[in-house]
Amino acid sequence: MTAQRISQNDSHGVSSHGVDSHGRADEQAEEQSIAVSLDASPQQVLEDALSSFDADKIAISFSGAEDIVLVDMAVKLGFKPRVFCLDTGRLHAETYQFLERVRKHYDLALEILSPNGDDVAELVAEKGLFSFYEDGHNECCSVRKIAPLRNHLGKLDAWITGQREDQSPTRSDLPQDQIDKAFSSDDHTLMKFNPLARWTSSQVWAYIRQESVPYNPLHDRGFVSIGCEPCTRAIGPGEHERAGRWWWEEATAKECGLHAQNVTPLIPASGG
Amino acid sequence: MKITFVKKILANGEPCAKCADVEARLRTGNYLSRIDETQVADERDPESDGMRTAARLGVERAPFFVVENDGGEVVYTVFFKFLREVLEAPVSNSAEASEILRDNPDLDLI
Ligand code: SF4
Repeated sequence: MTAQRISQNDSHGVSSHGVDSHGRADEQAEEQSIAVSLDASPQQVLEDALSSFDADKIAISFSGAEDIVLVDMAVKLGFKPRVFCLDTGRLHAETYQFLERVRKHYDLALEILSPNGDDVAELVAEKGLFSFYEDGHNECCSVRKIAPLRNHLGKLDAWITGQREDQSPTRSDLPQDQIDKAFSSDDHTLMKFNPLARWTSSQVWAYIRQESVPYNPLHDRGFVSIGCEPCTRAIGPGEHERAGRWWWEEATAKECGLHAQNVTPLIPASGG
Repeated sequence: MKITFVKKILANGEPCAKCADVEARLRTGNYLSRIDETQVADERDPESDGMRTAARLGVERAPFFVVENDGGEVVYTVFFKFLREVLEAPVSNSAEASEILRDNPDLDLI
């Protein structure tokens, strides 16, 4: 099942940029309808993912925000999934309370991942508790999120995220499933499933309301994207949700791709 | 063994920040002497040494390292993998995590 869906996504990628601007509307329409029909629903992606791996080798990553829909869908599909949450130590009190509510509501053994205490102590001793306001968020996020995440993913064969294309410009064309190159190694291949990739924020919220899914109360106070307390703020109507995170950082060029001038970039922007 | 370090100059003439960071780490760790050749991939000049090497090897991002030995060429685009495997240098978990995040900026929203 999983392999079949991977090839479906590849087809989607090809057809999505195979449209030309010189007429041939019927061909375009056909291509587009194929692309749409090849996208599986979030529930299909979840079901395929959860039934394709041993239960202890696949887990849902839950951030304490609207990705709660993944947990809800998985439970309603009849699974009792592994669910983990990165506790950076800097989350809002409301988020911690929400995690507890989720644990009880779904009767889950929520796995709370903590950063390495020595690494946090070293960072704080050297740069204080708010280094991200001066040096950018990479270092703190690396210690508090990425290192524990990497450690945890090393024990899994697959993970499921709530990432969506519409969350950030760097997520356009996000596949519904992929080999996770960031965390795979020469001797360990990790799969990553993004069931909500094609859903918009409105679709997620329609699901939450329709299915009476519990949600983080911060959303009612204008928080669209929810992360750590010092790095998250409420946003106004019309602002992109990314504007609610690390808003003090300049939108500097983050380009590691090799772009010959006047040539279409070969890969999306990345850090560096 | 021959080690080639390819660093990038952006289309606006500025050096790439990550390349500068990698070079600084090599210098701080006293590893620069292990680098046999440094090439510049200048985005304004597709014929620059580094751009040609990248094109020949199918590499799409910089910085990167090419390690040549009897077995052929091996390309390292992940700096800390290169540090650990080729230079046999100690690498901390947080340093590796930092590189992962820089190369995959969408991970910060996890
Ligand atoms: S979001 Fe902010 S507080 Fe949280 S880990 Fe990243 S930089 Fe640190």
